[in-house]
Amino acid sequence: MAKQDFKGKATIVKETFPSEIVSIIGSILAGILLSLLILPFKSFIVLILIIPALLSLRGNISGPFIARTSRDLIVGEFNKRSWLENVLATLSLSLITALLIGFLSIMLNILLLHVLTLPIHMLILIPVISILFTLTISIPCSTGLNFFAFKRGIDPNNLVNPIMTAIDDFSTVLCFYLTIILLGVP
Amino acid sequence: MDYYKKIFKESIVVVIMSSVMGLFSGTLLSSNDEIIYAIPIFIIALPALNSLIGDISTILISRLTTHLYIGSIPPKIQSSKRLIEDFIGLLLTILLSLGFLLIMGYGVVFFSGMAIVNPLIIIIIIIFTIMILFFTMFIFLFISAIFLFKRGKDPNNFLIPFVTSSADFLTPLMLIIFIQIFI
Repeated sequence: MAKQDFKGKATIVKETFPSEIVSIIGSILAGILLSLLILPFKSFIVLILIIPALLSLRGNISGPFIARTSRDLIVGEFNKRSWLENVLATLSLSLITALLIGFLSIMLNILLLHVLTLPIHMLILIPVISILFTLTISIPCSTGLNFFAFKRGIDPNNLVNPIMTAIDDFSTVLCFYLTIILLGVP
Repeated sequence: MDYYKKIFKESIVVVIMSSVMGLFSGTLLSSNDEIIYAIPIFIIALPALNSLIGDISTILISRLTTHLYIGSIPPKIQSSKRLIEDFIGLLLTILLSLGFLLIMGYGVVFFSGMAIVNPLIIIIIIIFTIMILFFTMFIFLFISAIFLFKRGKDPNNFLIPFVTSSADFLTPLMLIIFIQIFI
């Protein structure tokens, strides 16, 4: 099954729309969760600076991970080694970018917000720990879903990304919340 | 570790750049908090709108990349049956999804007792914003995917991080601009 037969526009809608519904529900739930769990924090004005970047980072890292896994499955190049290298690259990229988000949010806080409710090291630890928690959920889920779709003859490109957006958006906010609770953020 | 190196090398710059854009998005939202709090549907629907345009663009990139790898789309900037089918399929999906999103978003606002401000204008603004982004992204991503593929690069690694962050930044930016103009 090296190549998968790609179908017409009706199939794109049929395969993509249901997973997009899941994505929308997940994202709306993430929005509600965000306002319920994160809004009451005293440091909210600083935290809200990091959250969009973390949600972006999640999309930037796990989106290509999913797309590479789908492509490897479809073109027949998927194996244990390629998957492990894919995972390692994803983790390395996440750590480096999370650190950068931390440093830049410190700078933005000092230059623009002037809110000193959080110790500086927290702004480094929050994105790093939070994104590692999220990837622990995201990587196994997306790999499993890719396999599930491919084995059933559904194009993983259409199905996996929207469903993972829902799972990832929700788990990003949840893991962010768990991280700030773990670190004792006021 | 060739695959690792290829992924890392091709992704690192664009991932860093797009995460910086994510921070700008946070700054944009926090500096326009009066709009966000005045129109509750905005805050409820924004993560879903970002996800919607991001998802559709990601699907487009990953489909284009796969088509280019298996040869069902030629690496030339020209129309093809497959490309038109992808365009119509994704356009229908985004319109249906947008309808669902608006119904669900307004459902949440209605049942939670939040204020519903100028619903017709807000719905038109949201649809207009998403359509502009979709048409622009489609053209830009198709040309970029061909360009990258012809240079031996994997479009997934470059374009997905770029498009996710662009969507996260451009969606609230355009919505805020249109809301300031029309409301």
